[in-house]
Amino acid sequence: MAITISRRQFGFFAGAAVAASSLAACSGSGSGSGKGKVVWSTWGSPEDLKSFDTFQEAFKKSNPDIDLVFQPTPSYSEYHSKLLTQLSSGTAPDVFYIGDDRVASVIRNNVLMPIGDKLSGTSISEGDFAANVLDIGRWEGKLYALPNDVNPDTLWYDKEALKAAGITDDPAQLAADDKWTTEVFFEMTAKLKAAGLTGAVYWNYWATHDGFMTAQGGKVYDDQGKYVAHQDQASVTAMEEYAQRFQSGEMKLADLLPEGAGSDTLLVTHKLGFLAAGRYTIGSIRGAGVDEALYDIVRWPSIDGTAKPTGVAASYLAVNAKTADTDAALKFFSSFLDADGQKLRLSGAGNAVPSIKGADDIVLSENYPAHAQTMLDMRDIGYSNFATEAAVPDLSNQISVELMQPLYEGKSDAKTTLEAVAKLVEEKTA
Amino acid sequence: MSAAAIRPAPPTAAPPARKSWRAGDRRWGMLFVAPQAIGMLLFTLIPFVFAFVLAFTEWNGFGLPRYIGFDNFRDQLTSPLLGRSIINTLIIAVITVPIGLFLAILVATALNKIKGRPFYMVLFFTPVVTSTVAIALIWQQILRPDGVLSDFMSRTLGIPQIDWLGDPRLALLAVCAVTIWSSMGLNIVIFMAGLQNVSPSVLEAAAIDGAGPVSRFFKVILPLLSPIIFYQSVVAFISSLQTFDLVFILVKNAGPDNATRTIVYHIYDLGFAKSQFGISSAASIILLLLTLLITALQFAAQKRFVHYEG
Repeated sequence: MAITISRRQFGFFAGAAVAASSLAACSGSGSGSGKGKVVWSTWGSPEDLKSFDTFQEAFKKSNPDIDLVFQPTPSYSEYHSKLLTQLSSGTAPDVFYIGDDRVASVIRNNVLMPIGDKLSGTSISEGDFAANVLDIGRWEGKLYALPNDVNPDTLWYDKEALKAAGITDDPAQLAADDKWTTEVFFEMTAKLKAAGLTGAVYWNYWATHDGFMTAQGGKVYDDQGKYVAHQDQASVTAMEEYAQRFQSGEMKLADLLPEGAGSDTLLVTHKLGFLAAGRYTIGSIRGAGVDEALYDIVRWPSIDGTAKPTGVAASYLAVNAKTADTDAALKFFSSFLDADGQKLRLSGAGNAVPSIKGADDIVLSENYPAHAQTMLDMRDIGYSNFATEAAVPDLSNQISVELMQPLYEGKSDAKTTLEAVAKLVEEKTA
Repeated sequence: MSAAAIRPAPPTAAPPARKSWRAGDRRWGMLFVAPQAIGMLLFTLIPFVFAFVLAFTEWNGFGLPRYIGFDNFRDQLTSPLLGRSIINTLIIAVITVPIGLFLAILVATALNKIKGRPFYMVLFFTPVVTSTVAIALIWQQILRPDGVLSDFMSRTLGIPQIDWLGDPRLALLAVCAVTIWSSMGLNIVIFMAGLQNVSPSVLEAAAIDGAGPVSRFFKVILPLLSPIIFYQSVVAFISSLQTFDLVFILVKNAGPDNATRTIVYHIYDLGFAKSQFGISSAASIILLLLTLLITALQFAAQKRFVHYEG
């Protein structure tokens, strides 16, 4: 039987089809099958994202009533641009990662679900997490985000490079004896440079500059969240001393190393003494096929040789305030963050340190690196990015690229730079 | 069949006027135009009006924008970063447009006379249809300090390896070189089409009058191509002012010391990295005014340099 439709009917159906498909494409979650649905997102390279496979499979198996949809983005900066656009337009995923330099600013826009009072029926509680990295996830007394995992920047050192530079002391042993002083460290980087090697490499971001200062007994922000590094003599001296070593070539910024001769490459080819980096460096060493026993880790040096707090890089997980299925979103949220979830994500080739009690054996069970406990110690005494700074989008990055980098390149002095940072922070947070 | 049957009817009636279109035809016409018109409305006109309004507000993407008058324009007009972006962008335009067009004319003239033209056309045109991301990633590898180019120069000239994208003095030149390479194919095709329209009799007449190949090129071919050169220069200049994707992928963080920060990168950085959509919109309005000014100057210059036949 032939069916005829008028032009008007055709126009109506075509318009309806376009509208329906557009709406379907825009929707974040919700399922017509009666099952719950959770859309979640993070950033990472294809290799990084593999670490989520085991967890996702386990979650799907134990929660057959929840459809899990993964929406990753390769680049960290593009991920946040996309996330902010999605949040602004109401199409953001139900659960998503946020970087530690962004989380405070996102929280202040009332787009995240306050989770503090919703954790009671889940497998996690606020007290399970390291308190020193929780503050940034709070605003006006409410908790909005929890750390997925953390990565204190330990100093990875290459015993072969140190030996080539005539260094006989073992940094980890010096640290164990509380003799790991800044003076000893600087002597080592000078010897490495004299031997034609690079002394130390750091990434140009908040934890590096702030860590330089706090490890030397300096202050960056006061208790009221005001930037005070420029008024703190220990901080100014620390930055001046480190900057001199960058200017002399003993130390380098990883961000400025040429393609093909990056920090990992220098480390595994024995051309670098120390690399400030997280647990993910295990993968770089193993991937290069070098003798992994040649590498160990040590905390950052201090004036008196004892352990001092340094920055702890972290990423946070949050729930969209507009999620269609709160129960399913919270189920995923808690399963992702609880000790079992972190073990599934971080065991074996895992690239970070757990943020929750009861999962530390992930770091220690492999007995690699030899002083793996250092990662946990640095996590426990360290601090997350300062909320004042993280409350302004891209401020941490702006400080690093526009102010700190010129200092390391010798285009400014420490006092002037820190005063400029204070002025910028004041302007941006006014 | 009689002769009268095949004779055309005398033009007694005037051709049908537009007003005689049936209403149905008009509706179909509107239907066919609708996709483009809707696209223009949604993705050009509304965003333009929105950006214009936002330029006078403070807005981070959430909540309601707050009207702040001309503060964003004051901020940008005194911003060293915008100044740096404008200078970088103009350098890209000033280097890539004339060199790119001149090389394209030379290649098009050469291709106009050789055998196997389609093969060479494909070679030159391939970059035009290749994704900018792919082009940027390939050139990123070529321009590495240990890449093919640097390695070749180091071995043949005995100079140290060059970090093309990491050296603030070279990064912008590297971007210009890649831009010229990737856009040349389209210019070549358009100039070849223009060369096809140059009458052989004009060239023969010039030859008879004693003009050599070089003289014919500069005194006959170039003037006849001048309308196309003008059109391409306007398009290429506007395109250069909008340089973004290549720089974004090829060089990290706008290059060392903002060496490759362009205006559109600056707009993107303010809007999508710093969530300052008001200031970002003000910068985009400034870019629009700059584009209009440069295009107006080009149109003013064309009266002197462009030769139209007939």
